[in-house]
Amino acid sequence: MTDSIASDPKRRELEELLPFYANGRIAAADKARIEAALATDAELTARLDIIRDDMAETVLLNEHLGAPSPRVLETLMAGIEAEPRQMPLLTRAKGGFLGWLGGLLASQPPRRLAYAGAAAVALIAIQAVAIGGLALRDAGAGFQTASAPGTRASERYVLLSFAPDAKAGDIASFFKRFDASVVDGPRANGFFKVRVGDASLSPAQVDAIAARMKAESGIVSFVAATP
Amino acid sequence: MHTESDEDLVKRIASGDRLAMKVLFSRHQVRVYRFVLRLVRDETLAEDVISDVFMDLWRQADRFEARASVATWLLAIARNKAWSLLRKRRDAELDEDYANTIEDESDGPEVVLQKQDKGLAIRACLERLSAEHREVVDLVYYHETSVEEVARIVGIPENTVKTRLFHARKKLGDMLKAAGIDRGWP
Repeated sequence: MTDSIASDPKRRELEELLPFYANGRIAAADKARIEAALATDAELTARLDIIRDDMAETVLLNEHLGAPSPRVLETLMAGIEAEPRQMPLLTRAKGGFLGWLGGLLASQPPRRLAYAGAAAVALIAIQAVAIGGLALRDAGAGFQTASAPGTRASERYVLLSFAPDAKAGDIASFFKRFDASVVDGPRANGFFKVRVGDASLSPAQVDAIAARMKAESGIVSFVAATP
Repeated sequence: MHTESDEDLVKRIASGDRLAMKVLFSRHQVRVYRFVLRLVRDETLAEDVISDVFMDLWRQADRFEARASVATWLLAIARNKAWSLLRKRRDAELDEDYANTIEDESDGPEVVLQKQDKGLAIRACLERLSAEHREVVDLVYYHETSVEEVARIVGIPENTVKTRLFHARKKLGDMLKAAGIDRGWP
């Protein structure tokens, strides 16, 4: 049977939002669009009924999973008691950033570094567009080299490497999300120097950005603030 | 009665407050556990993962930024740890073929249909979705997350969230149809 919703881009777009309409996590404007469509589109309404059925069963399924045993909290609190409080990243770095970074680099398996190189190829293509745009925007009457913008003390950077399985599209989206751009790399070890903002960012803010980037472990395998 | 927000608890945790840690753990442990258990399908492993998740929270609380909710942050950490575990166990990315090979002790949808319970049949099919599909279905239907939050937790673009969920729903419908339940779509 032909799926008439799938073949109509506007209805398909609304249909894909139905689960979020059903769970109540949708923007007011989208909600209004969906409600207007539901008033006249019986097929869309039937699709919403299916979603609501599935949602109810998913909740039931999850509710049957029970809860973790008390041993989890006991283990956790014992671990916390045994753990010395972590010093902030920069404090650790002052005590020997190069040694610490060297240890981290040495611990990266060769396969990961090799993949980081492969990811770099895709990244360079993505960055070329951005760099080209910057060069054009910055171009004045005088001579301008065709290279990427140089690193300046007025900017803030992180050093990062990409996860072996990172996809080009995800990397592009990652850079867009963080409003970041590559200023140097890939280096021989597969690492990139990435601009994350200007000098108005405090070291703590750069650390926070690095932590958020690191949380995206499907895309990056290593991130640290760098001068 | 004043209930302290998650964000305030995280600030207290960042300063080493163990009581705040217990409160936050109590508040989120069940949902994080269920999310992980649905992925790793092993209660002991799921408990180990959530213990790790909250230990990470203890260590990184001073780096938390309120751009995402604490719940989203926890689910993102949990998701990364669960998938890392799955990859180690399998040494390959989970896909549908692998998901189909996972042993499931519950009745299949055909069997539960014979028992005349449509709800049970849907749940049996939900169990048989691939791990990638299970996680988006659970996040949206059970954890009530928005498109943006799923994108953040899973680490994929927002459009991919919508299309992945669409394909998960379609797959669910296909499985139900194969079991004898035709809901008119797909």
